[in-house]
Amino acid sequence: MPMISELSDGTAGLEPDGGITAHAVSRSFGTVHAVEHMDFHAPAGKVTALIGPNGAGKTTLLLMLASLLAPDQGSISVGGLDPRRDRAEVRSRVGWMPDTLGVWESLTAREILTQMARFYRLPAQGIGRRVAELLERVRLDDLADQPARVLSRGQQQRLSLARALIHDPSVLLLDEPASGLDPGSRVELRLMLRELAAEGKAVVVSSHVLSELDEIADGAVFVNKGRTVRQQTTEQAAAAGRRYAVTASDMEALAAKLAGLGLAFRREDGRRPALSLMLGGDSDAERLLRDLVLAGVGVTSFAPATGALEETYMSLEGELR
Amino acid sequence: MSHATKDRQDTGGRTTGGYLPGIRDVVVLELKQRLRSRGWYIMLAIWFVLTGLVTWLTWASWNASQEAQRGYPGYVAPPDTGPGSMIFEVVLAFVLLFALLVAPALSANAVNGDRAGGTLAILQVTLLRPGQILWGKFVAAWAAALAFLVASTPFLVIGVALGGMTPGHVLVALLMLAVEVGVVCAIGVGISALAGRPLFSIVVTYLAVAGLAVGTLIAFGLGTGLTQGTIMANQAQYRAYEPLSREGGQQGPIEPEYTCSGPLQEQSAMRTERVAWLIAMNPYVVVADAIPYEDRSQERNYSSVGAIETISQGARYAMAGPEGTFPCANGEVKPRYLAQSTPLWPLGLGLQLLVAALLMWLGWRALRTPARKLARGTRIA
Repeated sequence: MPMISELSDGTAGLEPDGGITAHAVSRSFGTVHAVEHMDFHAPAGKVTALIGPNGAGKTTLLLMLASLLAPDQGSISVGGLDPRRDRAEVRSRVGWMPDTLGVWESLTAREILTQMARFYRLPAQGIGRRVAELLERVRLDDLADQPARVLSRGQQQRLSLARALIHDPSVLLLDEPASGLDPGSRVELRLMLRELAAEGKAVVVSSHVLSELDEIADGAVFVNKGRTVRQQTTEQAAAAGRRYAVTASDMEALAAKLAGLGLAFRREDGRRPALSLMLGGDSDAERLLRDLVLAGVGVTSFAPATGALEETYMSLEGELR
Repeated sequence: MSHATKDRQDTGGRTTGGYLPGIRDVVVLELKQRLRSRGWYIMLAIWFVLTGLVTWLTWASWNASQEAQRGYPGYVAPPDTGPGSMIFEVVLAFVLLFALLVAPALSANAVNGDRAGGTLAILQVTLLRPGQILWGKFVAAWAAALAFLVASTPFLVIGVALGGMTPGHVLVALLMLAVEVGVVCAIGVGISALAGRPLFSIVVTYLAVAGLAVGTLIAFGLGTGLTQGTIMANQAQYRAYEPLSREGGQQGPIEPEYTCSGPLQEQSAMRTERVAWLIAMNPYVVVADAIPYEDRSQERNYSSVGAIETISQGARYAMAGPEGTFPCANGEVKPRYLAQSTPLWPLGLGLQLLVAALLMWLGWRALRTPARKLARGTRIA
């Protein structure tokens, strides 16, 4: 029965956009509408962030994108294929890393990846090499023959990522991949996701840790209460203006100068007192800094107070309440 | 295998592969995990020791009773009976009991245990089909349970070696035990795919096993009361009492024990054949009925009849109903002993397989992805 779909293999792979798209998908569990008419698009070769508060429907959307959950309404397309009809072909193109760390604890990392390769029906003779390659890529090669239960959370997370990559999918769905990772591993994950996107994969990352998404995401889809709230690229987010925090040796002089320039600012009650204000973009920031310095204000720090995506997120939070 | 590899190369990529290799991969995954858990070995060791203990106690108590009987003056040992039949029956009953108790523990958390651990969705998202996952889990659970049967084989062989039985008995018994364990495993795996929580599915599977082992008896007993019917029969004239004699020379044909005469009259009888299917589903009846025993219809002395035979004959009486067992029903003499040619176990096993297949099918439906309906409170991942 699945043999029929194989005939389309060659042509479907040549689709210009190998990304993943959800169009007006809805899914409810009983009376809870987890996802309502959500639109989502993640293009190939880009990292797309899926951002929203807890319970916004991120995981439900990812489950639908991973073809584990059927949408009540709407359609999903992976490189032009419908998961309901071309199940096997869609599955072999999508890699999914769940938010729960499900590992077969008594198996070693190598065995887990080998099993996954078999479940994806990779050619038997290439499995050993592919597994070794991935173990090295996620830096688990020295722990490859330890049972998975002795791995730390971060190591299990990396194993989970390797598991999602075993069949070299063109779409990668990562549900909270950075949770529980130490700062070093986060940097590594960031580099790796950039690499994967550069290889032409569509990478979807759901997270609510926003500062790091600025660095990796090319675009973001904001969701809340089961709906797509906004879809924008990181550049657009940055252009929409962001909040800068400025400190000076003489805060009163700084405040007076800003007032003189006619800028609205507010005092931040952090550990170090600072003034923060919204600036339209990089050129605005440049101009203000020059003005302040030329005016003789002793500026000690001048930096964005939040990430660009965080700014959008916070403004949306305000709108939605 | 080489053919499959060639196929993959031809298409230049992956294929969905055969159905069986997928099942095999799931079985390998499951067995690797089971073989590495210490609990399974501990259970196996306890099982071995317990079965050994039961075998030894049965043998010892048989010896003791022989010893005591020899003390009576004028006692002559029955010719060809050793403890074999008795040990075999006790060990068989015990192994079946424990197999019924162990199998749910090995199977009833196969699917939802993975779901709770977050590893089920990992399998579901691959190219594996829901049927392959379910069959793989079932075969692995069955294999793990069969190890317990293998561990008890030596004691069943001892039962044979001590006399009275043939290797055929052991083979048939082991085969039927294996099938019964398989039925319970299938029920357990099916329920575990349906139920949200492992604890719940294990309890339900135990209840299902209790239903088969005890519930069928109760249902049959209560059901019989509802089968009051009538049958046309005339009067049975029993032959005059003849003292039992051990000397073979005097034993004439003992059947018929009675003759039928007089007009046919309506007599009340229990139409047990209507509810006999209930008792046929009992695992003990299935196993006992499948094990061959000698045709004793020409024997007068039933003293050495074992439990297996008694269960089997009892169930066959119920199945035959008054038409086949009521004295002088329709004016015909009924045999006191029902022949092996009317086995009951295919019916019972068939019904058990039907239940197991239904549960497995429902479980398969629950494993399909993309999932439309989720059980209450379950998260797919």
